[in-house]
Amino acid sequence: MATLELINVTKRFGRNVVAVKSLSLEVHDGEYLVLLGPSGCGKTTTMRMIAGLEEVTEGTIILDGVDITDLPPRKRNVSMVFQNYAVWPHMTVYQNISYALKLKKMSQSEIDRIVKEVAGMTGIAQLLERYPSQLSGGQQQRVAVARAIAVSPKLFLMDEPLSNLDAKLRVATRTELKAIHYETEATTVFVTHDQSEAMSIADRIAIMKEGEIVQIGTPEEVYDKSASIFVADFIGTPPTNFMDVELVIEDGDVRLVNPYINLKLDPANAALLKDYDKKSLVLGIRPENIRLADKGEAVLSAQCLVSEPQGSHQIVAVELEDKLVKIVAPAHPKVRSEEMVHLAFRQEAMSFFAKDTGLRI
Amino acid sequence: MTRKKRVNIYKAAKTTTFYIFVTGVLVAMLLPLYFIVSLSFLSTREAYRYPLPLLPTLTARFELTHGERGYLLSVYDRTTQKYQSVLDTNDLEKMSIYMKYQLATPITIEEIEREIAKLETQDVVYFSHGTNLLYNYETFFKVAGTGQAIPALIRSLEICALTILISLAIGGMAGYAFARYMFRGRDLLKFSVLFVRMFPGVAIAMPMVIILAKMGFYDEPIGLSLVYSVGSIALTVWITASIFMGIPVSLEEAAQVFGATKLQAFLRITLPLALPGLAACAMYAFLGAWNETVSAIILTMFKPTFSVVVYQTVLGAVGQVNLAAAGGMVMALPAVIFTFFLRRYINQMWGGVTV
Repeated sequence: MATLELINVTKRFGRNVVAVKSLSLEVHDGEYLVLLGPSGCGKTTTMRMIAGLEEVTEGTIILDGVDITDLPPRKRNVSMVFQNYAVWPHMTVYQNISYALKLKKMSQSEIDRIVKEVAGMTGIAQLLERYPSQLSGGQQQRVAVARAIAVSPKLFLMDEPLSNLDAKLRVATRTELKAIHYETEATTVFVTHDQSEAMSIADRIAIMKEGEIVQIGTPEEVYDKSASIFVADFIGTPPTNFMDVELVIEDGDVRLVNPYINLKLDPANAALLKDYDKKSLVLGIRPENIRLADKGEAVLSAQCLVSEPQGSHQIVAVELEDKLVKIVAPAHPKVRSEEMVHLAFRQEAMSFFAKDTGLRI
Repeated sequence: MTRKKRVNIYKAAKTTTFYIFVTGVLVAMLLPLYFIVSLSFLSTREAYRYPLPLLPTLTARFELTHGERGYLLSVYDRTTQKYQSVLDTNDLEKMSIYMKYQLATPITIEEIEREIAKLETQDVVYFSHGTNLLYNYETFFKVAGTGQAIPALIRSLEICALTILISLAIGGMAGYAFARYMFRGRDLLKFSVLFVRMFPGVAIAMPMVIILAKMGFYDEPIGLSLVYSVGSIALTVWITASIFMGIPVSLEEAAQVFGATKLQAFLRITLPLALPGLAACAMYAFLGAWNETVSAIILTMFKPTFSVVVYQTVLGAVGQVNLAAAGGMVMALPAVIFTFFLRRYINQMWGGVTV
């Protein structure tokens, strides 16, 4: 297993299109790193550069101390699971898995042993003689994973491997992928645009936007301490609620004020924001950090627009003049449409962002 | 009439019409084929009879009597079910030759003498003799193209092989480039490949002759295959480009990641998947080169292709329909064999491999 290091990697298409901007990233030995971002953010391009399928315009890629920037894909000692699986349709499952091993000039008995082992690990042992067209999407995906494990690479690349599966299978497969990861302990870079997938599977998440990494950290870090409005909005369903507020310091009280709320901050937040007197901020608070409260302690009262029961909880949407605020509330008592609800904020879980840059304060 | 009955009648009428239509199409397609197959086996006399016999005679039946000039030979005509007098002579060699050439009955003078000997005891002698079904084919190869038929056949096959080779190599590579690489003027170039097919061969015959003569390829198989390749390259480019486009790049990329070079990835992954398309291209190239006559007439002198030889048989001094039919059959056979051989590869394209 190995560490991967990207140093100021840039990818330009043509003269004007910059897909990846001077990206630096370190993936530790045995780590499961997820590149997460909306489509077109450069995450797949980054992965393809690591695999060697895309030329690096500037910068260096180092795998296990070896500069692989200009090596052809076959000499990089990486393996990859493609979005469309890319299992070869004219080869049986066995041939698909063993092709790379044959190219490495392994003996037939060794190939046999490895194929059986990885087929067992991925649960396709009984499908070895089938052709891919005779397999379901989920089974093809397993073949792609088995093929990637078989070569025991230094680095495992996965390009949205779950996006072609249906929702239920996707959740089941991501659990299996993580189990396989524990078994192989392979350093893995996983690309996805699905934040819940990233949260559930990653050791660390690197969130990308327009060719740059905007935040990198554990799932908890990026969720609780989102580095910018973009991250806070992108991660989590329903996403973070944002409110434009003005900070007012009066008689030693630090208050957030806007047409709907007038909230006195607790000492910790007050200390954090003491230099922002009379400035505009963006308050971010996650839906589960707003609770339904009595009228007395409420920060905000408004009419419920809709309530979406989810079984274990309900999502209550409250309409302010121009925007919706969503709250994750216990399933009972059920909130009715047009009912007046009173909301209290969990102050320790609030985030503040600068209005101009969108960055966390 | 109940509604149900009416529906049934409507259905029956629909089915009947459908099968009448299908039968009509089948007859329209198979009748000319039957005509040429049957004609190619008929003896010369049969071939010019009216109405034309439906099938060739396997055993010819003869009647011999004393005639005015010697012996009167009559042959049984299945259409009229009567013996018809064909020859009155006492020259047995002439009779033998007549029977061989006109009636496709290879009979020796001795055999005729033996039958004639019987005339001493009886007035009429009936006898029969097997015909040579392949007489037309044998004659065709002996006579057509002044004995050039077999060399011409080999030359034609050579031209076809060269055409397939050139058009698959160049057209296939171009098709791959059109499918996989984005470059300036790609679409324009792709369309311009088709422009060469706009001109009828005859219209550009003169320049072709001059250019090929300057290259030293006039009257050479390679010259003709170059001319044929121009047309089939265009077709190959379009077919292979769409085939290669249908094969995801990621299949090749996966091979590269798993240890193959670019060339290995192409040869081991993309090429086998493109095989049906390439087979179809090979078939088009073959049929185009095999059937082409106009350019071949213009661009050859002493080394005609087989299609030219058959063409000459129809028009030239040999001029017998049954010989021309035999030539046509010989012409059709390799194309049919080749098509059947490639069929299983082409079938893959429509059913077998799903990418």
